[in-house]
Amino acid sequence: MSTRFDQSTTTTCGYCGVGCRLEAHRVDGSVRSISPAMDGPANKGHTCVKGRFAHQFARSRDRLTAPLVRENDGFRLASWDEAIGRITEAFNKIKAEHGPDAIAGLASSRGTNEDCYAMQRLMRAAVGTHNIDNCSRVCHSPTSFAMRSSLGLSGATGSFDDFEAADVALLVGVNPTQGHPVVGARIKQAAINGLKLITADPRRIELSDYGELHLPMRPGTNAALLNGLAHVVIRDGMVDSAFVDARTEGFDATAELVEAYTPDAVEGITGIPAADIERAAHLYGEAENACISWGLGVTEHLYGSEVVQLICNLALMTGNIARPGAALLPLRGQNNVQGSSDHAALPDTWTDYRPVTDDAVTSSFEERWGVKLKRERGMTIPEMFDAAVEGSLKAMYIFGEDVAQTDPDTAHVEKALDSLDFLVCQDIFDTETSKHADVILPASSFLEKTGTFTNAERRLQMVTPAADPPGSAKTDLEIICMVSKALGHDMGYESSADVMDEVAEMTPRYAGISHDRIGRTGLQWPVAKDGTDTPILYTERFEREGGLARFAALPYKPPGDAADDEFPLILVTGRRLEHYNAGTMTRRTENLSLLPSDTLEVNPVDAERIGVKAGEEVTVRSRVGEIRLPADVTERIEPGHVFTAFHFPEVRTNLLVGQSADVNTSCPEYKVVAVSVESVRSPGERPQPAELVTA
Amino acid sequence: MKVTVDAVEVEVEEGTTMLEAARAAGRYVPTLCFDERMAPFGACRVCMVGVEGNDAPLASCTTPCSDGQQIHTDDETARRIATATVELVLSELPAEPEEHTELAEVARALEVGEPRWQGVQHEPKHDARHPYLAFQHELCISCGRCVRACDEVQGAFALTATGRGFHSNVTAGLDSGFTDSTCVTCGACADTCPTDAITEHLLLDLVGDPAKDGGPQ
Amino acid sequence: MSHNLIEMLRARERDGEPTAMSILKDAVRDHGEVTDDDRRRAAERSGLPEATVYGISSFYDDLTEPRGHRHVAACNGTACWAANAGDYVGDLGERLGLKPGERSEDGEVSYGTVYCLGFCHSGPAFRDGEVVDAGEGALARVAGGAAVQAEEPEGRSVLDEPVLLRPGDWSGLTHALESMSPEELLEEVKEANLRGRGGAGFPAGKKWEFARNTDSPDGKAIVVNGDEGDPGSYIDKHLMERNPDLLIEGMALAGYAVGAERGLVLVRSEYPLSMPALRAAVERAREAGHLGEDIHGSGFDFDIDIEEGAGSYVVGEETALLGSLMGLRGTVSARPPFPAQRGWHGKPTVVNNVETLCNVPFIASNGAEAYSALSPGVTPGTKLVCLNERFRNPGLHEVRFGTTVREICEDLGGGLVDDREISAVQIGGPLGGILPAKLLDTPLDFDELADVGCMVGHGSILAFDDQTDMRALATHLLEFGAEESCGKCFPCRIGLQRAHEMSARPELIDRGRLEELLETLELGSLCAHGGGMPAPIRSLIEHFPSELGLTNGDGPDQPDLGAEGDRRPEEKAQAGPQQPAEDGA
Repeated sequence: MSTRFDQSTTTTCGYCGVGCRLEAHRVDGSVRSISPAMDGPANKGHTCVKGRFAHQFARSRDRLTAPLVRENDGFRLASWDEAIGRITEAFNKIKAEHGPDAIAGLASSRGTNEDCYAMQRLMRAAVGTHNIDNCSRVCHSPTSFAMRSSLGLSGATGSFDDFEAADVALLVGVNPTQGHPVVGARIKQAAINGLKLITADPRRIELSDYGELHLPMRPGTNAALLNGLAHVVIRDGMVDSAFVDARTEGFDATAELVEAYTPDAVEGITGIPAADIERAAHLYGEAENACISWGLGVTEHLYGSEVVQLICNLALMTGNIARPGAALLPLRGQNNVQGSSDHAALPDTWTDYRPVTDDAVTSSFEERWGVKLKRERGMTIPEMFDAAVEGSLKAMYIFGEDVAQTDPDTAHVEKALDSLDFLVCQDIFDTETSKHADVILPASSFLEKTGTFTNAERRLQMVTPAADPPGSAKTDLEIICMVSKALGHDMGYESSADVMDEVAEMTPRYAGISHDRIGRTGLQWPVAKDGTDTPILYTERFEREGGLARFAALPYKPPGDAADDEFPLILVTGRRLEHYNAGTMTRRTENLSLLPSDTLEVNPVDAERIGVKAGEEVTVRSRVGEIRLPADVTERIEPGHVFTAFHFPEVRTNLLVGQSADVNTSCPEYKVVAVSVESVRSPGERPQPAELVTA
Repeated sequence: MKVTVDAVEVEVEEGTTMLEAARAAGRYVPTLCFDERMAPFGACRVCMVGVEGNDAPLASCTTPCSDGQQIHTDDETARRIATATVELVLSELPAEPEEHTELAEVARALEVGEPRWQGVQHEPKHDARHPYLAFQHELCISCGRCVRACDEVQGAFALTATGRGFHSNVTAGLDSGFTDSTCVTCGACADTCPTDAITEHLLLDLVGDPAKDGGPQ
Repeated sequence: MSHNLIEMLRARERDGEPTAMSILKDAVRDHGEVTDDDRRRAAERSGLPEATVYGISSFYDDLTEPRGHRHVAACNGTACWAANAGDYVGDLGERLGLKPGERSEDGEVSYGTVYCLGFCHSGPAFRDGEVVDAGEGALARVAGGAAVQAEEPEGRSVLDEPVLLRPGDWSGLTHALESMSPEELLEEVKEANLRGRGGAGFPAGKKWEFARNTDSPDGKAIVVNGDEGDPGSYIDKHLMERNPDLLIEGMALAGYAVGAERGLVLVRSEYPLSMPALRAAVERAREAGHLGEDIHGSGFDFDIDIEEGAGSYVVGEETALLGSLMGLRGTVSARPPFPAQRGWHGKPTVVNNVETLCNVPFIASNGAEAYSALSPGVTPGTKLVCLNERFRNPGLHEVRFGTTVREICEDLGGGLVDDREISAVQIGGPLGGILPAKLLDTPLDFDELADVGCMVGHGSILAFDDQTDMRALATHLLEFGAEESCGKCFPCRIGLQRAHEMSARPELIDRGRLEELLETLELGSLCAHGGGMPAPIRSLIEHFPSELGLTNGDGPDQPDLGAEGDRRPEEKAQAGPQQPAEDGA
């Protein structure tokens, strides 16, 4: 037992969807050091720069420590009573004048399951509207939609262990060594030691250097690639007919559709050499056990949800599902993007994705809460912003999300926020969004609350506080309960465990979940009443009516944006290892000195054409906005494409991203933005000496 | 197969090392270069055990068991060699190891006293360039754990052993510090280091850590 | 060795691509030192991480010291040291105006010491560029830039038909390919009980069988340990330079028996004549159809690459050798896995000594029985021994096992020059025990020598005459041991440093403390370097205690009484201990 620390608490990381288990070490009331927990099921004693070191933000002087209310053009400190009073006054007024649907709530995929569940209960029971959504809308909602449609449940079909058990893994539109570092490390080790890795990405990601084959498809052409792979699998007899016959439906329509997707045809669309398409298909099709993993490079597209269905097609036709080493593993970005959606923070579903249109389910909630509820869905985030601008949405309550930085088309978002009569922001720091707020409520970081996160393996793990929220800040759950009570609906929870107990009570597939049962190793849902959890899904049946999985025959359609003469390059946006999303937390740690700013990755061919050298400032313009940042000239990105991240408010990358979004789920098309890139240097000015700024 | 460790019988699989068998039997074997997440290395020689029928003690971390073997963790010779080895390690360090380090723990467990053999010690060399990780090269005992963690766990390959013989040490990149290497700041090296040669600045700065004040300049 | 690094090297295996180590050596040849740019280039080409390449560049003598266009090295090996030539290292340095490890301001000349050049028959020896001069007048010639290549005495065999001291004639390989299956050849070598000649004495047939029985779709390798770094030993040098065909024939036979299609030889860089001789022999063999694809229509493929070392003694240990061959640091690895399971590039590999393989053609041609008949009743086969400059007849001698050391020293070696008395001989290398004169009748064979705390080792027989100070010898040996420790295991890395310090200090050595340290080294070390170093020291403690200057540690100095054969205290006072070496050398 170390005598250096006052206390060590095991908890779960609040950064990404890997869900590392961590030991938070406290000295004099604050967390001074974090080390990985050796028995963490996902991380097994390892972690990354963010989980391990980026915790100083919790002690930052910038922390919100008291409620703030708007006065004139600024804010002043207020008591909790006053702040909540303002909220209830505003909400009640708006409800009376415009109805409860004029108010919307936004739950945070960073918050715990209990926070999110309580938030949706507040919106539904206390306010009376289904206008509740969470930020998975802008990342993995297509995954959720598609997997439910094809297989039945919204989640990875296996666990990270499947990467080690597989012979072949296909990674599409995901960069694990940056976005899910611990899983990226595991995949890298497996690849060095025999796992045959195929990476499909417009950029050559780090794992491509350890892979068997890299397929650099043009942004927005994923569907063509996947149909092309399916074509070769079928053509060359790699279909697992026994599996297809016994456990699926709709194969014939798919087989017919992909006949046209010959390798040559697909090469024409994607730019990937036909021979590589053949090779990739054979690697995958001939494997004993193969996994497919994907990320936002698949979902953040106009037809993202369709592409996920095509991914499911590939796994189904080869029978690569429902056993160790054969899994579909969407790498959910945020620590609780899985859980926030599982726990009903969505406008159209209850817990476990049961539709609000389902009378029986909605009745059960009505009974439990003693309220009356509609059976029509509420608004998604994009709909909320549109409604705000149009005038029918008057108020929003946002917790844990900085939409003004992370959502697409920043100009539109800001207009929406300005159009509201009333905005409540609940967060740990001031953000771009809170600049527009009427009331700001100081909340807790993941180090200061009790609850659960659900990682990308469907594993619920405990979050245990290692410190108290600073000043008079409160935990998110406490705040939500207070506001609900003030609005007339006392949720009656005494602890976050109570919240989870209610979830279990109301949700057959989560029936056996409780804080006690979760323990140190977590539980992967579904969890039966006796506590048995489910590491591998679909071993007996698919969770659709009839028990069969469904093929989806979907053709390739071009993305929402395309390069043209005015905007000749395609911008892809993504993540960097050292920072997390809006960078709110990581930029308040020493991670900032590791990566103080971002660059635009430009291929040398394009750099030459534009006349820009590494390190020089460039202006990037899209149809909706303009930004400036230095260029990094690298061969990692293919000619015709450029790449940058979105962690720095000074850069405000999302000013460039337009309104194009997934047809089924409205997930924004962050990954295909037509841009022009110009050197900032005025003509005649001498170029600066080249400084290599490597990403 | 069955193996006996200090009269405790355990059932183990083919390929199990004697150290794994000892741990399965709940018996203590001190180690310095061993980390269960990485392949055994065989450098420290502190994990020595006695084996019935073998004159010399064996390094348990890298020796596979055979069926029916009788292993003694408290073998006199084995313990004597292990103790002497730890003594040698203490003799090369310019300061006593901090109480919380694995090296200090092992030295306590083996009741290691003042080193019998004294001589030249490591020269102090501190690298504080990285915002989080602190490198105190003089505390490095060349156990290789950090290099192996960066290789086998993270896969960044940012660290290497350097030099030869007594002058062996460890460094990052082209001896350029963590920041100028392929390091991704995962901290696995600091987690595994048994002497705090690599650790966090924040931990070194902890107020009220009495051992720290007596540390090297 | 790092499993991952080997997998990464294996994945990028392309015939002809240089290893990281050889790229760095080229850099030194080109501009005298290794720069960070060189390291980056080496990393890029070899596929190894940059940090790994940095580590490699800091391990090898050829890479860590700056080299001038002209590099001069003085041999610091035991035979040159025992040649009673005074402080020749310092003398030459003075004349060149450089200390060992230094390079002149204008970058033209650099000076260093080296363990060992293999001219033990004519020491002290000096290397000037590619020329090695030795013996009478050598220092003056080298200092004056007029080095003359020293000759090596002819080797002599006690047999009418030498087994080893003969050029290879390919009859063994031809016979085997025509009339033996690989399994039959393997059986013959097992039957012959050919024991490794590099020092460990492990039966070669068993090693081959182990590798043969390990499946490998990627192929297997025969690796030859041409890193004869033992001061006092030049047997492999002679074979590589004078009889390379015999060695290559032996390698091909090994490949045939094991099922390996690749052969590699690591030749130490301290032997500038060996590599060209081997390369030329490989070329000749290819032209004559003895190497390559489908050799003599047998369906057997085998070819050989020669790699150069970069200055490290310990890479003579087989796992360190494999590391070095792959261009990595030459540190020792724990076994299992054994090279026969997982060796060069992760493939099943047989590592054999040069002399060992030179025995194989005889066995292939004549069979196991004839081989045993060469030394009836004792270890089968013949052994090459090499004598140092102190002898009247230095050079190589091929003898039968069981010959006494005295016969070798007096009958074959002709006794010492100037009629000096042998005070002791060190047999088999610096890790071999030291045999005092009174035990010279011990037969040269594995068990017999082991019984007196000595070993056959590699077969060098290094005589010390009455001028050698035993304490100084102990310090010299321990300095060598500490300098060449790979640094991986704790007992050797720290223990040899401490043992050297104990001996180098002018004070008496606490005998108990020394013995505790020696026990720790012997039983705790990872390999035979740290494990073997105690042997000669123990011999000195047993046979020359008063010369060593020991004390029991209680009260004022209590030197042990001199044993028979030990020098008298007055003589010891006259010779005096050598200056204590620099700490941390």
